[in-house]
Amino acid sequence: MCGILAVLGCSDDCQAKRVRVLELSRRLKHRGPDWSGLYQHGDCYLSHQRLAIIDPASGDQPLFNEDKKIVVTVNGEIYNHEKLRSLLPNHNFQTGSDCDVIAHLYEEYGENFVDMLDGMFSFVLLDTRDNSFLAARDAIGITSLYIGWGLDGSVWISSELKGLNDECEHFEAFPPGHLYSSKTEALRRWYNPSWFSEAIPSAPYDPLVLRQAFENAVIKRLMTDVPFGVLLSGGLDSSLVASITARHLAGTKAAKQWGAQLHSFCVGLEGSPDLKAAKEVADYLGTLHHEFHFTVQDGIDAIEDVIYHIETYDVTTIRASTPMFLMSRKIKSLGVKMVLSGEGADEIFGGYLYFHKAPNKEEFHRETCHKIKALHQYDCLRANKATSAWGLEARIPFLDKEFLNVAMNIDPEWKMVKPDEGRIEKWILRKAFDDEKRPYLPKHILYRQKEQFSDGVGYSWIDGLKAHAELHVTDKMMLNATHIFPHNTPKTKEAYYYRMIFERFFPQNSATLTVPGGASVACSTAAAVEWDASWSKNLDPSGRAAIGVHNSGYETKHLPNAVANGNLKTDIMVMGVSAQELTIRG
Amino acid sequence: MCGILAVLGIADHSQVKRSRIIELSRRLRHRGPDWSGLHHHQDCYLSHQRLAIVDPTSGDQPLYNEDKTVVVTVNGEIYNHKELREKLKSHKFKTASDCEVIAHLYEEHGEDFVNLLDGMFSFVLLDTRDNSFIAARDAIGITPLYIGWGPDGSTWFASEMKALSDDCERFMSFLPGHIYSSKNGGLRRWYNPPWYLEHTPSAPYEPLVLRKAFEKAVVKRLMTDVPFGVLLSGGLDSSLVASVASRYMADSEAACQWGSQLHTFCIGLKGSPDLGAAREVANYLGTRHHEFTFTVQEGIDALEEVIYHIETYDVTTIRASTPMFLMSRKIKSLGVKMVLSGEGADEIFGGYLYFHKAPNKEEFHQETCRKIKALHLYDCLRANKSTSAWGVEARVPFLDKEFINVAMGIDPEWKMIRPDLGRIEKWILRNAFDDEQNPYLPKHILYRQKEQFSDGVGYSWIDGLKDHANQQVTDSMLANASFVYPENTPTTKEGYHYRTIFERFFPKNPARSTVPGGPSVACSTAKAVEWDAAWSKNLDPSGRAALGVHVAAYEETKAASGSPSVNGSFE
Repeated sequence: MCGILAVLGCSDDCQAKRVRVLELSRRLKHRGPDWSGLYQHGDCYLSHQRLAIIDPASGDQPLFNEDKKIVVTVNGEIYNHEKLRSLLPNHNFQTGSDCDVIAHLYEEYGENFVDMLDGMFSFVLLDTRDNSFLAARDAIGITSLYIGWGLDGSVWISSELKGLNDECEHFEAFPPGHLYSSKTEALRRWYNPSWFSEAIPSAPYDPLVLRQAFENAVIKRLMTDVPFGVLLSGGLDSSLVASITARHLAGTKAAKQWGAQLHSFCVGLEGSPDLKAAKEVADYLGTLHHEFHFTVQDGIDAIEDVIYHIETYDVTTIRASTPMFLMSRKIKSLGVKMVLSGEGADEIFGGYLYFHKAPNKEEFHRETCHKIKALHQYDCLRANKATSAWGLEARIPFLDKEFLNVAMNIDPEWKMVKPDEGRIEKWILRKAFDDEKRPYLPKHILYRQKEQFSDGVGYSWIDGLKAHAELHVTDKMMLNATHIFPHNTPKTKEAYYYRMIFERFFPQNSATLTVPGGASVACSTAAAVEWDASWSKNLDPSGRAAIGVHNSGYETKHLPNAVANGNLKTDIMVMGVSAQELTIRG
Repeated sequence: MCGILAVLGIADHSQVKRSRIIELSRRLRHRGPDWSGLHHHQDCYLSHQRLAIVDPTSGDQPLYNEDKTVVVTVNGEIYNHKELREKLKSHKFKTASDCEVIAHLYEEHGEDFVNLLDGMFSFVLLDTRDNSFIAARDAIGITPLYIGWGPDGSTWFASEMKALSDDCERFMSFLPGHIYSSKNGGLRRWYNPPWYLEHTPSAPYEPLVLRKAFEKAVVKRLMTDVPFGVLLSGGLDSSLVASVASRYMADSEAACQWGSQLHTFCIGLKGSPDLGAAREVANYLGTRHHEFTFTVQEGIDALEEVIYHIETYDVTTIRASTPMFLMSRKIKSLGVKMVLSGEGADEIFGGYLYFHKAPNKEEFHQETCRKIKALHLYDCLRANKSTSAWGVEARVPFLDKEFINVAMGIDPEWKMIRPDLGRIEKWILRNAFDDEQNPYLPKHILYRQKEQFSDGVGYSWIDGLKDHANQQVTDSMLANASFVYPENTPTTKEGYHYRTIFERFFPKNPARSTVPGGPSVACSTAKAVEWDAAWSKNLDPSGRAALGVHVAAYEETKAASGSPSVNGSFE
């Protein structure tokens, strides 16, 4: 990842302004530790903090077209840049950077080129000929981006909130799949896939088509000039990413430079389920596996830093970001600059346990659509910012545009969880990689259910967080919570604790509004809470609440292993409170 | 390098305080990006930000003795740690970290072990049995360290001022070669080499002894488990470091892991003298050479950050730190975590041009002693903090304790500049590496005079800085300078500009006092300004003033043989 900050039309071109822009840009330095660049044209500033992944030697930014009239600052990776270059034979490229194509595409196609880009990106492009500019963010919002407005009429665009929150009167998350053009002074959506309308698709499920689409998505993400690896929690999604990468690594340019053995990384409390599961997968795949252990105290000590970096007060996101944040630092210290990660599969395939309760395929499908559209506020935010905090880039193959089109076009009947037919959640994905002759993963891993959310790093992690929050938030504080935090009022002491930290770093009202809220059970959207009447009474953000549902919904014999062999409780209310019911995971 | 912060005897040890210390420790994270650790024992906190160079997998800090009653947080490298471990046979070591010996040495020898350490280091050690603590800094102050006192009676130690300046009532730079013990409540000097008294030594000059001593100093600094390189400006000092390092690299452990071709790095404005000179040396030595260019605008854009990191308003230090700071970022981005650098030779051998005017060997020698004692305020500060800003560690072989003893034991008559005998500055060093059979460097490089100070990165760098300062600082601002800044009053617009930036980051009185001032010509101490009556009238901090001396004192042709710099800089 890189960090970008652009200030456009700030009606001030003095040295003090330049110094201020430099200072704000430094707040994004963690995203791009390798070099920084600032381009100033009158009262427009485009700054860039670079993490060099492609063409480290010459790709410093901002980037220009041939006559330097068009300037662009980009955070991201354009996987099809070589193909796009070949479509622009009459253009001269000054660098080998994948992002160089953007300025040239603009010259050729005006503002309508964004959909040609295959990758994850946020960029700001300034056309100095008429001082117009445009900004855009990738389809799903894998890269982070914010837009703000200054009192002086300036428009600010920044990879993270912290780059602009002190200078803007109003700011918000830049919606994914959108384009802002100064000519119209408005945002419009450039990303218009068929699934966006949420109409129910009807394509039959073809396992090989799905497999091929995902393999393509992984392979195109192996484009790198620096050492890389895979985040491996041992669950289905990350294990598939690791398996495919290991299979295709040998043929890549990266392997020639950095060796054909794949590095895999896992984090957990000592003895945690993830560590064990990941080790098993790593052994099977023969990766060079790195395990990192953290203590609950290490995690708690990092919380402030995590909230500063991730820029949210969402409880599940903070819980899950912290181990990822700690691991990213260790990964970076090994010299690795890029990792592949498994986010997105649970949204696309309805992998969360609450999907068991989807009343019909229409509701199921709409919920997956809602989840994908909200990814930029949750898992994308976490994956991008937890790694970028340490100058590490996360690539997300499940959120490949083409793969999404394939996966979201399948008749959702196939995605429904049907214990009677032996179909557990994400069954169509599992099945697609169930290759008898050349197995991607051993069967028991391919079909195992894994810990949801942050339990995988160790059961005492969430309990430790709750206990810590308990010490710092009094009952009296909770009583006044609705008055202090009228918007997205924290309902638990843990949430209150995170909120206090967030407000300290980002006190503006606009900042509070960038974080989603509303009713949710086990990560569901508010609409899905209605799937079960009992849920609305127990809004626990963790996955534990849904397990109760699980138990009450089916016979024990239909339960997946991880759930079935524990002492499941029928009492939904106690989920996730004491250590007792955690034994269900054992 | 790593970053350390210790707070001892704090009145309040609630979670709020813990969070505050974690927050302050984060201000040192650039020094140790790889991991952080915090040890809390009653009213004492020891925190650590780690750059993993030796034993990256298990050496996370703080470190402990066997029963965890002695805790230590260390920034530095102990080059003789294996030898010291040998002598501690009865002790069990838990990590392979070079710094772990400190806890065990303390158990064995109490407070009197510091002189046993060969390396660069700053550490704080807490003995939880009686809640006593000690802190110490290496002989010359290659690693930075500050000490401060909180209004609640707490004592603070930090690798950089920014970690304690907001919370301490008073603070100062921790004197190099000193130890602070809570038992006797004061600082005392543990470093007592013969040269410290500034008596004029009389040992004869033995080229081979000097050469051997320096080679040993370089070789012991090749201890690393991560990729490394050499900063190569193409001048004598860095070229010797590169030459010796490339000669002995094949035998080192590092070469087995990272290949035996040495990486060298140089930075300059496009077409600058350093870039040309370094390339020539790199070609001769066959190193894998990396050239970085920067523009004057990039340098100016970095100034605030440089001052924040280096924590000084000294003009020459800021001028020289900026290119080094920019280069360190690029070096780090290549995956290199450690570099050898040539600081210290000019101080030890009197390499600055103003030494031409030393009236006699006694004065010459005393000036070299004063310069070495002040290194921690100037070149050590620059080398350490410019690199640490990006998580790169700089090792400085010329400041090896044993090498200094040898070099400072030589009769200074040999160091005197004697044009009549063909001896230019640093002649004894050049001569020591003048090996006909197996040359370290080509003769013309070995005997060439290089740009002084920051001119090497490009002549327009300093001019660009001056122009920039002229736009920022008005005449009336400078006229009021003595009222605004009564202490170390800036005398130029450039000095004033840097000062305003420094004051913004470090507004407290004690911060100002950590930076040295006083009259100086071309980097001399105030005392040496007296060597020439003309100097006190023209106090230019750059080397250019002394060049006038150079040309005036000797034949024009002699000075010109040094390099084209005379044309460029002699306005």
